[in-house]
Amino acid sequence: MRRNRKIVQIILTSVFLLTCISLTNTVFAQDGEALFKANCASCHKVDKDFAGPALKGWKDRVPPGDWIYNWVHNPAAMIAKDPFAKELFDKWKPTMMTSFASLKNEEIDAIMKYVDNYAPEAPKTAPGTATAVSTTGSEDNNSLLYGILTLILAVVALILLQVNSNLRKLTDQKEGIERSEPVPFYRNKAYIMLAVIVLFAVGGYFLVDGIIGLGRQTNYKPVQPIFYSHEVHAGVNQISCLYCHGGAQDSKQAGIPSVNVCMNCHVAINEYKGDLKLVREDGSAVDGTAEIKKLYAYAGWDATNKQYKPDTNGDGIPDGAKPIAWVKIHNLPDHVYFNHSQHVKVGKQNCQTCHGEIQKMAEVKQFSDLSMGWCINCHRETKVDFYNNKTGEGNKFYSIYEKFHNDIKNHKMDSVTVESIGGTECQKCHY
Amino acid sequence: MKRITYLMAGLLVAAIATVGCGSDRDPGRVYMPDMAYSRAYESYAQLDSNKFTTNPDKVGGKKIYYNAMPPAGTIKRGELFPYIIAHDTVGYRISAKVENPIAGMTKAGLQEAGRLYNINCAICHDAKGTGQGPVAAKVPGVANLTGDVYKLMTDGTMFYSITYGKNNMGSYASQLDRKQRWEVIKYIRSLQGVDVTMTSDSNTATATTNDSTVKK
Repeated sequence: MRRNRKIVQIILTSVFLLTCISLTNTVFAQDGEALFKANCASCHKVDKDFAGPALKGWKDRVPPGDWIYNWVHNPAAMIAKDPFAKELFDKWKPTMMTSFASLKNEEIDAIMKYVDNYAPEAPKTAPGTATAVSTTGSEDNNSLLYGILTLILAVVALILLQVNSNLRKLTDQKEGIERSEPVPFYRNKAYIMLAVIVLFAVGGYFLVDGIIGLGRQTNYKPVQPIFYSHEVHAGVNQISCLYCHGGAQDSKQAGIPSVNVCMNCHVAINEYKGDLKLVREDGSAVDGTAEIKKLYAYAGWDATNKQYKPDTNGDGIPDGAKPIAWVKIHNLPDHVYFNHSQHVKVGKQNCQTCHGEIQKMAEVKQFSDLSMGWCINCHRETKVDFYNNKTGEGNKFYSIYEKFHNDIKNHKMDSVTVESIGGTECQKCHY
Repeated sequence: MKRITYLMAGLLVAAIATVGCGSDRDPGRVYMPDMAYSRAYESYAQLDSNKFTTNPDKVGGKKIYYNAMPPAGTIKRGELFPYIIAHDTVGYRISAKVENPIAGMTKAGLQEAGRLYNINCAICHDAKGTGQGPVAAKVPGVANLTGDVYKLMTDGTMFYSITYGKNNMGSYASQLDRKQRWEVIKYIRSLQGVDVTMTSDSNTATATTNDSTVKK
């Protein structure tokens, strides 16, 4: 009996231990992917070289035994004493493996197991590539149709008038009434008057329209020195507008990024492989990689050696580097003052309010006409982030507007617009 | 009669002249160039209409006026003192000893630092700091800021890396001023789960000893 109990006890403990071991094993097997993503993925890919070598097939390359553990735990020490580690370091210089002293051997096993079992995701079939073509070209032009219709009606009217006068001539002859030769229609004062009025209206309309449009540049879309697509950067890659145009929150100018801001990413990204096709207005395709090469020329970046060209002439920038002469699109006349920070930081306006859907523009064009009427209209409609005395929310600056606070309290007004705080005063923008 | 015809013809010609020559690639004309183009230097203003000089080597001769760098040896009001550690391996090593001059963050200050982080850093390092932002797959070696390596990294080393860039990361000195960089580091600490020392929301709280304009 007692022996039996002991056997049962042994069996139970062994089962318990076994489950424990297998459980921890499964935990690590599942964690392999998570561990890989958290620790390794920033520099290593399984199937191709990245900042470090591709990990697939590591077992065949790496010395057997504890090497992999020692390498992960302390690469610097390994480079000093181990020939294979030294070779690896020399190959990938100056990038060096980060040490992960806190990773346990089991965790490294789990990661390597994930690497061994890694299967690349099936390539996604791009939907909608075939359907996106057929929209252009079949645009119905209604105005042309109306024009033709008007022309036909005019011709019919002319014929009818001619018929009418001929008929009258015939009846006159029959009844023996002598009339003087009728005035031809181009000498007829009524006709001339009509033509003059029509010409005056049409010509006047286009003249006024053209004069109003003088100095306005809606849809202005200059050719830029580099085909920089906002659609790729701000749209697909979700880079914040303020990443490049940080001046918009601090100063009058939104700022055109200097080349070093481009190079923050393009040191590493040297070719364009996106799904989005880059197309110019005339339909010709743009080679994104060639455009990045242009950027390298401006920046003085040596793409093959991955470093800036030396500065031999001592002007503080790499030889051959020069600023990119982007063409300014939004040109306000000098007699208008506009400050970006006032609108972006204080007024908390979205860039798109004035610039349109920049993140969908391959080439940027001017979206608004930037006319005074357009400014004033927005100032009349936009409510300021008025300070709320009770909750403390809103822009604290507006706490000094005592009358408005009283009016809101007495329900005389429900919100404060830019106009109420002087946003339509002349000298606000003209001085 | 004739007068009206001439008037009409003139009107038509004027209309065609103002409307006809507009193309999306052309900025068009302005009423009074004197009032439209600045006589004074303006950032990015093209000096087409009023050339100050025909010598292209002079500032006025260039087509576009870029803002000049601040005079050497000057500090912007409210900005921290310049970072004197050099950009080399020795500099990297000693940068670890530089302490974060920002003692504590207000709630609003941390929020602002988070906003700056999301604009400038999250594109690669992700909004949560995991190093899996929208562009991270295209740039090799994006750091997982919540990893142990970066939890142990000192503020000073982080500041060095943000200031001068490291590996594939470029310098962010032109996008974030010194104070903002230190504050963003504080925000990164909060992403790592470190308690960032908070100070009360008073105006003097963010003033630091290293601020060049602090009265002593």
